[in-house]
Amino acid sequence: MSVDILDVGSGNIQSIKNWIEKANISTRVLNKASDIKSTLLILPGVGSAGSYMKRLKLGRFDEAIFEHVDKGGRILGICLGFQIMSAYSEEDGGVEGLNFIDGYVERLQGNASHNSWEPIYVRRDELEGQSFNRQMNLSKKRILDGRVFYNHEYGFVNKEENSFSIPVSDALPKYSGLLVKDKIIGMQFHPEKSQITGLELVSMIL
Amino acid sequence: MRVGSTVLLKEQLCVQSYGWNMMRPLGSLQGVLDSLEEYQCDEVAIIRPVRKNDTLSLFGQDLQILRKIKTMTPISFGGGIRTIEQLKLLKGLPIERVIFSSAFLEKKNELVTLAKDLFGHQAIKCLLPIGYHDGTVCVYHSSEEKYLPLSSVDTQFIDELANEVILFDMFHEGSRDQFDWSILSEIPFATDKLIISGGVGTSTLRIARQKKVASVLIDNKVLHQEYSIFGYKHA
Repeated sequence: MSVDILDVGSGNIQSIKNWIEKANISTRVLNKASDIKSTLLILPGVGSAGSYMKRLKLGRFDEAIFEHVDKGGRILGICLGFQIMSAYSEEDGGVEGLNFIDGYVERLQGNASHNSWEPIYVRRDELEGQSFNRQMNLSKKRILDGRVFYNHEYGFVNKEENSFSIPVSDALPKYSGLLVKDKIIGMQFHPEKSQITGLELVSMIL
Repeated sequence: MRVGSTVLLKEQLCVQSYGWNMMRPLGSLQGVLDSLEEYQCDEVAIIRPVRKNDTLSLFGQDLQILRKIKTMTPISFGGGIRTIEQLKLLKGLPIERVIFSSAFLEKKNELVTLAKDLFGHQAIKCLLPIGYHDGTVCVYHSSEEKYLPLSSVDTQFIDELANEVILFDMFHEGSRDQFDWSILSEIPFATDKLIISGGVGTSTLRIARQKKVASVLIDNKVLHQEYSIFGYKHA
């Protein structure tokens, strides 16, 4: 198991590193696209979609991410890193995403801001149709039942039929909070800042 | 409603403050964060209580402490972020949200907009040290060490750029249940955008829930009984 964390110039990289290393897995923080060599690539994400995609393209990270996926590597996108895996985000006047997942990102209904802890419940057997699941070997844990921290203004509307998705919350059922499709996993919440549940989750997905 | 804590970071150590003035030491930042995380504190706002005489060097020294922390609790950080040079130093720190105070009062559009690009609009908080001064609701302008009448503050600018606004009752900070709710009648922001801090106790929490504010940050007196955070959450 090797984990690379992509550093495109913003984001709480140190928190992601700390989170993964709590599971006794070493990480590398990369700021050069050609350095990606891991089995799991993490796209952390804070900032706005427009400037994030601009930085991805400037550093040719987008091409390297496609190459990583073509070679069978797994990807974990967190928050904005999850959103840019869609086809399109309406943030910053409209931004084209990486289009790994059929879906789009829109401003939360009612122009709301969602800064909150929400309950999460995931049964591992529900992920069996996704190849991501076959590489989850670190823990035999089968059920995740806890709470996770959200801080976002845009939400991911999933259109992918053959994917596993759970909504952000009862109040925001339109948007995916956790989405797994093949070798790609996206989290709208911040697992690295979700305390005990974040720790349980990292041992489930690695 | 979230229940968190403010943590004041002064010269690389945490301090407890009374009335935004008297301070006594509480220990290392990592120790404080570990204590709060143990009792599932929802969020922590780390604030440098700096005034006019803050320097880039002092700012950098505090950031060195911040850079080393290991925590899985959501962190906001602010206090003395007044230039783009300082903002860029926040890159890679284990923080999710950025707090500005003087920058909002001085309408530093370029600085706050750059922060929005780097951290996202959802990450921008405005801190207003607030209270009645000479019978008028005033905001303390830290970098100029003076009180401004709230009426002179461009609240529309704040409303547009800040995702949430921390109302920090500076005259009741460190006291129990003395947060001055009358301030809210003068505040033009939506209640669900407000974070209440200063003079928080269990009664304050109950009122905050009724008013549906976004969050309550308990003064860091909670650190003398950090286990009480659990009680506050269920107040």
